[in-house]
Amino acid sequence: MTTLTLDVREVSKRFGEGETAVEAVSGVSLAVEPGEVVLIMGPSGSGKTTLLSMMGALLRPTGGTIHLDGTEIGALSESRLPDIRLRQFGFIFQDFNLLSALSVLENVAIVAELAGVGSRSARDKAGALLTELGLGERLDFLPEKLSGGEKQRVAIARALINNPALILADEPTANLDSKIGHEIMRLLRGIAKEQGRSVVIVSHDQRIRDIADRVLWLEDGAFRDVVTMATDPVCEMAVERERAVSAERDAETYFFCSRGCRDEFLTSLSDGVMSQTAS
Amino acid sequence: MSAEGLLARRSLTRNRVRFAVSVGGVALALSLTLALDAIYAGVANQLTTYVDRAGADVWVAQAGVRNLHMVASWLPASVTERVRAVPGVAEATPILYSTDTISAGDERGVAYVIGLPADETMGGPWDVVQGSARVGRGEIIVDQGFARKAGVSIGDTVTVLGGQARIVGLSQGTASLVNSVAFVSFDDFQAVRGGAPVVSFVLVKVATTTSPEAVAAAIGGLVPDVTVQTGTDFSAQERRLVMDMSADVISIMNAVGFVVGLAVVALTVYVATLARRREYGVLKALGARNGLLYRVVLAQSFLSVAAGFLVGLAFTSLLAFVVPRVGLNLELSISAASLIKVGLFAAIIAGLASILPVRQVSSVDPAVVFRRGAAV
Repeated sequence: MTTLTLDVREVSKRFGEGETAVEAVSGVSLAVEPGEVVLIMGPSGSGKTTLLSMMGALLRPTGGTIHLDGTEIGALSESRLPDIRLRQFGFIFQDFNLLSALSVLENVAIVAELAGVGSRSARDKAGALLTELGLGERLDFLPEKLSGGEKQRVAIARALINNPALILADEPTANLDSKIGHEIMRLLRGIAKEQGRSVVIVSHDQRIRDIADRVLWLEDGAFRDVVTMATDPVCEMAVERERAVSAERDAETYFFCSRGCRDEFLTSLSDGVMSQTAS
Repeated sequence: MSAEGLLARRSLTRNRVRFAVSVGGVALALSLTLALDAIYAGVANQLTTYVDRAGADVWVAQAGVRNLHMVASWLPASVTERVRAVPGVAEATPILYSTDTISAGDERGVAYVIGLPADETMGGPWDVVQGSARVGRGEIIVDQGFARKAGVSIGDTVTVLGGQARIVGLSQGTASLVNSVAFVSFDDFQAVRGGAPVVSFVLVKVATTTSPEAVAAAIGGLVPDVTVQTGTDFSAQERRLVMDMSADVISIMNAVGFVVGLAVVALTVYVATLARRREYGVLKALGARNGLLYRVVLAQSFLSVAAGFLVGLAFTSLLAFVVPRVGLNLELSISAASLIKVGLFAAIIAGLASILPVRQVSSVDPAVVFRRGAAV
């Protein structure tokens, strides 16, 4: 798989002209590393979807640059963008956006066929991927026969079929219940970590913060807050580094959900140099 | 199956009612054209049946007369002997011909009435199903369909050429939607015409050592004031006349069929495209190019029209099979030329019907995928 970084620099998007112009995104910068899961949160109308559309080469920025693997996608001609979308990005949507007339298998295979894979190979590849995601018994079903979680897994398979380096997900848990939503997010995190793909998620859902490596807060078209997430080594809970209790050992910093966890961690290590920077 | 083929087929058949309406509409529209062509071709076949089955290689007619239907041809009786004297002529049979009405009781029917010499070797009935194949004075052979409708049979009398004639034979294959063919004796026919020494046509069979074209040319060169044609040319001339007479009707019905077919397919494909507008946006977002989506729309259009064409052809073939068997003197003949014409019609309909939907698809914004809607 290609390792590539999405590098967004001072990107802006203005809709309309003159007095009626609205700046949906204003001077946003973001670099996404391979295997990283980035969660962009923010209130409705904050510019999240506009930013995601620009990152996915579906919308051209009015200012700034977006580099994908060193190529500025905003400068590419319209005719080159479909190929970029097809091979470099995997999209996951809130409404699933599966093709209603096609079976589960066909929904995934057709994206591989669009990329030039032969029909038989595409179906084999799609079948294997769907089976891996637990949908082996649903290959011939129409999307309308699936549950929300199953539909989203089909969408994930479709996003992965062409081995993209970057997965862009728009409110992937919005139409799912809490349990299924969490399962889907863990699946995405697993894909990011095991396969080295970058994942950018736009969501309102506070419950999925713990699967992200970074949480960005977008408001009025600009990032207002950046939270880096870490896992408590004792209770394995996701914590925000900036607000967590921490301890250092062998020049490495550990983050904890509480002093209790930190103390338990320190007690279990009877030797070594420790220091604490509790906040 | 290619991606566009799969998408087109599934998009069409997903809504089966809409697909059935579309195919049915196209089938009906194309059937209009196909059936009308078949009817006129059938009528032309029937009208040339006598010319085709008379057994003549060459037809000699009055100067300027090139067909049988709705014409009068009068030649001096001496022409027959002059024709017989032309090298290459094996046999020459004079016939008298007129379009007249045969009546029996309340039943009246238009007929080509043929006056046959007693020793004729050509021009007589070719399939007599009951009675005699030869007519003498005061006798007539009529089509069995006419006899059935009129309620007459062998031995009964009918009125023809202003006199009475006794039925001595019943023939088949001698009736069309327009008229039938009846055979009377040459002498009776001549007597009705006041005994004038004239014939209508001279039918010629050529020697095996020569060709109809060569003999026709020889007769034309040696016998003055006649028009000479091979049987094939004479038949073609007759057929052309029928088609020319019906050309306007055929053109109008073709236009109606074309417009109806176009409207049905255009509307169906447009509605199908509109209903899947968001899905076209999804495909664009996933990386499908406009060209592929145009091909999907075109394929839908062509699939609808192809299915409609096949259903229309099947329907017209069924008509062609059933109609002659329900007592109608009507033959439907589906010709290759008609199939090609209607096939071209169908292809043009499919192409034109795609224009609006293609414009729809080209304007779909792929960012539609991020708008909340009723997606699957």
